[in-house]
Amino acid sequence: MRTKVILGLGAVALPLLLRNLYVIMFLVPDEMEQGPIYRIFYYHLPAFLVAACGYLTALVASVMYLVKKDQKYDAIAVAATETALAFAAVNLVTGMIWGRIIWGIWWAWDPRLTWALISWLVYFGYLMLRSAIDDPTERAKNSAVLSIFGSASVAVTWKAIEWWRTQHPGPVLSIRTGGVQKIDPMMENMIYVNFLALLLLGVIFMLVRLRQEEVQREIDGLRRYAHAAN
Amino acid sequence: MDERNITYMFYGLAVAWGLLALYAVLLGLRERDLTKQLDTLKRMIEEKK
Amino acid sequence: MTMLRHAAAIAAKDLRSEFRTKESINSTLSFSVVILLLFSFAFDPSPDMIAEFGGGLLWMVFAFAGALIVNRSFARELPNDCIDVLVASPASGASLFLGKAVACFVLLFGIECICLPVFGIFYNITWWRSLWALLGVLALGTWALACVGTFFSALTVNLRLRELMLPMLLYPMLIPALLSVMMLTNTLLTGQALPPDFSVWLRLLVGFNIMFTTLSVYLAETILVR
Repeated sequence: MRTKVILGLGAVALPLLLRNLYVIMFLVPDEMEQGPIYRIFYYHLPAFLVAACGYLTALVASVMYLVKKDQKYDAIAVAATETALAFAAVNLVTGMIWGRIIWGIWWAWDPRLTWALISWLVYFGYLMLRSAIDDPTERAKNSAVLSIFGSASVAVTWKAIEWWRTQHPGPVLSIRTGGVQKIDPMMENMIYVNFLALLLLGVIFMLVRLRQEEVQREIDGLRRYAHAAN
Repeated sequence: MDERNITYMFYGLAVAWGLLALYAVLLGLRERDLTKQLDTLKRMIEEKK
Repeated sequence: MTMLRHAAAIAAKDLRSEFRTKESINSTLSFSVVILLLFSFAFDPSPDMIAEFGGGLLWMVFAFAGALIVNRSFARELPNDCIDVLVASPASGASLFLGKAVACFVLLFGIECICLPVFGIFYNITWWRSLWALLGVLALGTWALACVGTFFSALTVNLRLRELMLPMLLYPMLIPALLSVMMLTNTLLTGQALPPDFSVWLRLLVGFNIMFTTLSVYLAETILVR
């Protein structure tokens, strides 16, 4: 059943991703000031949005784990965090490449860049903590708590560095600018469409990772059984 | 608008796809590893019975 | 009320045992002084430069020292399974955590008060011009470090790579607090006029403390009880 869902989503996501790549490379108009490089943005922003969805899912799943103490939520949390980290990496690296051309530097200690890097480190720490604990219940509990702490810290950091210096372009999507059309509607639509494609991909990654977590638990169970039978 | 502008666009798109592909490959490798472990264990338990 | 009394008892116990052996005070103190010395070799700072990053430098030292102190906080209870006894005692997880955090705070604050004059001598600055405000800011920053640090000490106490894992998890999460306390210390240290965004950083620091103290007190029971 799960496999069929994953395959079905894949059958939708892959053509959409390829079609988007084609549209992004050949059909959308060039941006006036930046030239072709701006096309990176069609991956940069949607990847960030997918990562943010992942971080949020991880937070909700972690809270749910502490409430319900069900290993299922722990598996969701780790799957969401890992997927989010992959997409956040896309966000960071594409941003750096864009910055090299537009700003002339790979990295600026701009609030949003700093924030993205810090949250990446925080959630990477989450994965490190998981790998260091062997007992499943202990691991689930401690990492759920860490995930909640991490989310809180990441939220505060967002506010903290807003007061710092800024260099990053402001919001462009009309839902963030209060209806003011800052970019061509075609460009904006393309961002949403590619967000959808990447989100589908993210969901696929998450489902695969989730199943692996379940298989891992089955393996652990069988190991214990095999040892007990000896 | 120099030459690098368009080159870097290709780098950017390549990295976006490349990183996601890399993660997919890592997932695939883990999948294979887990399946192998599961099979070995099941066979072991089967033999013991 | 019982909770606070239990917390006070735990804090007193920790401090007493620390002052008997003095193992983490001595090592942390000498470590901090060595780091201060090393920084002066690394940067060879002029007075203007110190005015610019003195607070950051000082807090780097305190953050390193803090990681050493909080690392010992729960690790101290590992021999003879003291930690299980503490958890089984009538003191709740929250008061156990709070007591340990207070003990760490006192130790760390003491070390900071010793480091401050040493820093003043090494780097040739008159740091006492707004002493009380500076001490207040130091106390706020130290509480952030001690509170989150002690919580993470409880989180990582059973790990093999505890000494490595704790700072790796702790520092990224402390960034908002460290950022604001560095900004504030920088200004107060050199007695410059207060910048207009002063209150923003202060509010951020206080908000961070309130938020994380609440979170850790609330979640301490979950972490400690197995």
